[in-house]
Amino acid sequence: MTRRPLPRSWFVAAALLPLVLLLAYVALRAGPLAPVEVTVAPVRSSALAPALFGIGTVEARHRHRIGPTLAGRLASVEVDVGDAVARGQVVARLDPLDLDDRIRAAASAIDRLRAERLQAQSRARTARSQADRFETLRQRQLVAEDAAQARREDAAAAEASLAALAAEQARLQAELDALRSQRQNLALVSPIDGLVISRLADAGTPLVAGQAALDIMATDGAWVHARFDQATAIGLARGLPAEVTLRSAPGTVLPARVARIEPVADAVTEELLAKIAFEPSLATPPPIGELAQVTVRLAALPATQVIDNASIFHGEGKTGVWRIVDGDLAWTPVELGRTDLDGGVQVLEGLAEGDSVVLHAAGPLRPGGKVTVVDHLAGRQP
Amino acid sequence: MISLAGRDILHAWGKFVFTGVGLGLLIGVTLTMAGVYRGMVDDARVLLDNSGADLWVVQQDTLGPYAEPSSIADDAWRSVRLLPGVAEAANISYLTMQVAHDGRDFRALVTGIADGGPGTPGWPLRLVAGRHLTRGHYEVVADEASGLSLGDRVRIRRIDYRVVGLTRRMVSSGGDPMLFVAFRDAQQAQFQKDNDALLAQRRRTAQDPAFDRPGAYGLRDAVIASQASSHQANAVLVRVEAGTAPAELAERIRRWTHLGVHDRTQMDAILVGKLIATSSRQIGMFLVILAVVSAAVVAFIIYTLTMGKVREIAVLKLIGTRDRTIAGMILQQAIALGLIGFAVGKIVATFWGPHFPKYVLLLPQDALAGLGAVVVICTLSSLVAIHAALKVDPAEAIGG
Amino acid sequence: MAEALPGGIVVEGLRKRYGHGDTAVDALRGVDMRVAPGEVVGLVGPSGSGKTTLLKCLGAVIEPTAGRMTIGDRLTYDGRWKIRDLRALRRDLIGFVFQAPYLIPFLDVTDNVALLPMLAGVPNAETRRRALELLHALQVSHRAKAMPSQLSGGEQQRVAIARGLVNRPPVILADEPTAPLDSERALAVIRILNAMAAQFQTAIIVVTHDEKIIPTFRRIYHIRDGVTHEEAGEGRLPPPA
Repeated sequence: MTRRPLPRSWFVAAALLPLVLLLAYVALRAGPLAPVEVTVAPVRSSALAPALFGIGTVEARHRHRIGPTLAGRLASVEVDVGDAVARGQVVARLDPLDLDDRIRAAASAIDRLRAERLQAQSRARTARSQADRFETLRQRQLVAEDAAQARREDAAAAEASLAALAAEQARLQAELDALRSQRQNLALVSPIDGLVISRLADAGTPLVAGQAALDIMATDGAWVHARFDQATAIGLARGLPAEVTLRSAPGTVLPARVARIEPVADAVTEELLAKIAFEPSLATPPPIGELAQVTVRLAALPATQVIDNASIFHGEGKTGVWRIVDGDLAWTPVELGRTDLDGGVQVLEGLAEGDSVVLHAAGPLRPGGKVTVVDHLAGRQP
Repeated sequence: MISLAGRDILHAWGKFVFTGVGLGLLIGVTLTMAGVYRGMVDDARVLLDNSGADLWVVQQDTLGPYAEPSSIADDAWRSVRLLPGVAEAANISYLTMQVAHDGRDFRALVTGIADGGPGTPGWPLRLVAGRHLTRGHYEVVADEASGLSLGDRVRIRRIDYRVVGLTRRMVSSGGDPMLFVAFRDAQQAQFQKDNDALLAQRRRTAQDPAFDRPGAYGLRDAVIASQASSHQANAVLVRVEAGTAPAELAERIRRWTHLGVHDRTQMDAILVGKLIATSSRQIGMFLVILAVVSAAVVAFIIYTLTMGKVREIAVLKLIGTRDRTIAGMILQQAIALGLIGFAVGKIVATFWGPHFPKYVLLLPQDALAGLGAVVVICTLSSLVAIHAALKVDPAEAIGG
Repeated sequence: MAEALPGGIVVEGLRKRYGHGDTAVDALRGVDMRVAPGEVVGLVGPSGSGKTTLLKCLGAVIEPTAGRMTIGDRLTYDGRWKIRDLRALRRDLIGFVFQAPYLIPFLDVTDNVALLPMLAGVPNAETRRRALELLHALQVSHRAKAMPSQLSGGEQQRVAIARGLVNRPPVILADEPTAPLDSERALAVIRILNAMAAQFQTAIIVVTHDEKIIPTFRRIYHIRDGVTHEEAGEGRLPPPA
């Protein structure tokens, strides 16, 4: 065997060297002794376009609840949910029930009364002629004054009861007229052109006065009742353009406008309420009660220094950022302004354009702490 | 002067290194187990650190919100906020639940954070990607441990949330990743029942005649609506003004609001002392057993290596090598083996630690303690081998 | 160390009994031997005759039962050991050459030979020089850097002999040193032993039954049943070819 060019100890040392180096690497770079990895972003000058985000439900602007004014029973419902109806169209009919019988009863009461009146009329005539005859006799002093008086009173009584019967007839007539007009109102009609959105009772159901049988809404009468957190709803105003996304169609953005800010906010949930109308109106109104997301676009603000909200940290009781100055961390309190929905935040005071601030950090940051600036921290970008 | 130990190692270096690697894996496992233990304790501590709070205001007489359920009115924070000494107060809600994404299901701590922007108590202290929540609903900042990426959609109780930011090391005391959502969304998730339960409740309410009187139209619907809402929080996180003692403020809050208050020290004791106590004891015991087994294996290996050299040792003795030279050879080899094993063990533990499902924290002091233990064990076990070697009869070298 | 001391080997009435009572075996029953410094004598006998036991006693590996032993003018045994550290005795006074080479497998040839002196503190340079000299004399210096496993049996044996000689002990005990060698090499070994003996006044006992080398001894001790008889040998050592 020829001599080996190198002593074997060198060969083994070479094999062990990576082990020693790895150990040194592990001790210094991994674990709690290592510097913190961060990414940085420059402070930029930009005009933020803030927007407000709220959620809400689809509602009907006006909900016409059609029902009877008197207790009754539904005879038929002429339309169903989803049907289009025209103004004045009969949508339901109430059962006359005993109404026809009552009309007949009232009519026959009037008839009976008429007969009574005739009877009373003849009695009155008789009493009047008696009274007149006795008056003539009294004048000839053939009968006493009392007898003539009595006959006069009889005649007055008979005439009075005749008048009473006339009044009674008028009353019965009025009742009959009322029953007849009720008979007319058994048809429920739609007050508007629109869409039936719910059917609350079917044929045969007894309804009390004021109870609704049908709900009707104008075809373009759907809007979104939206809620915005009070703290972030700066600048919400009527007339601003908005975008609505319905829960059932998350990919479709519907153009809309803020139609009204409700004068009464929700104190319990601390939200402002607003109505957002679709503009242009939708051909088919979305289901009432469906959830929707609303984004209201506000006018762009004047340009200021802007940072991303991931750069905002809390320290020493204040809000601020970590600047990278000469490779080291420097804590800088800042005054912040408005925000937009993409995470941009205005910096009103504390930073200048081009300053480098920490955006993402892999561990806790300390003043003067050691950091390593990298491109990105969390694996894949979307 | 030659080193007998060195020459022996050089001659059979393959076997030596192979044994060292095997030993190293065993040591690596032991170091990792210590790291698992430390990781468990760190999970609990990190949860307290990440909340950014000095005081936790909870339901009276509970150890909440992490160790016990705690439920307080969601407007209680206002009374707390007004007390002198309170710099900031914010609602927070916690619910551990299964969350669905992309066909798989994982366990997460859904955390509802109050409005107020980054820096509010409860908001993630830092991000490793993306941005904080800007919309009041339907956005989530998720911890990396969840496996989610920016832009992913995750479903929590019927609603899809979009991941807008990622955090690192923001986990529950059990190691579950935290999902930060707006407080209102979390309220809904925590107290909203599923559809079947809601329908069943509506049915029960509808059948109750008290709510169905003809004269009071709309009463039933109003009752049903009120049953489906909730106005609770799990705790209020409080930051103390500079110059105020937390314990003093805690007492003030207790007195004026009749709610329970825990400061950082108490929360530490609750989490580490009560919540994870059993698990950490379990791991601690296993660590001890593992260390004992490792010691026994090291001793056995060194003894066997020595016994394999009986012939050489007899010859050495016969030709007159001193006992202490032979003992020195065995001891040096044992310690060299131990050092190689330790190096291998520390390296593999560092590289496979991050792949464990829960956090593994390898501290330098643990590594140094491990190194010391390895050297001691190697020395002691070489003593056993040396004792056996010295008893070898040199006469065996002279055969018939 | 290694200066040859006057005296050589003197053994008087050496006895060794193994075991006790009924099962006792007397391996040596009063052995007398004398080897002068510079002499190479053969020790011949059938197996079981006690020659290995005698070697072990002389080599202070086992303890005799009775008798006296003097090695290199040092009384080593007179009923009990006179030197406490037997290993030091072996190291300083005796060179061993075994039947089998017994080289340390993880040391190369030169280190195997130089091991003892180095452990004793002799400077490296001097030891290496001596080792290489011996290796050269034994015709294995071309293998100086090889590992024992790479040598043939004969080469290993020669290295073992070099190891036994490197310390220049006053006494060398050789147990069948030529068994694995061919006659050419065997005679070379005997020549070296004689040369060492002459140069350093070493007393050498060679236990053997190798017919090739028995004629080379001037004196031979026959041992049978634990007792020795001295005899004159032929003393015929042919010069190298």
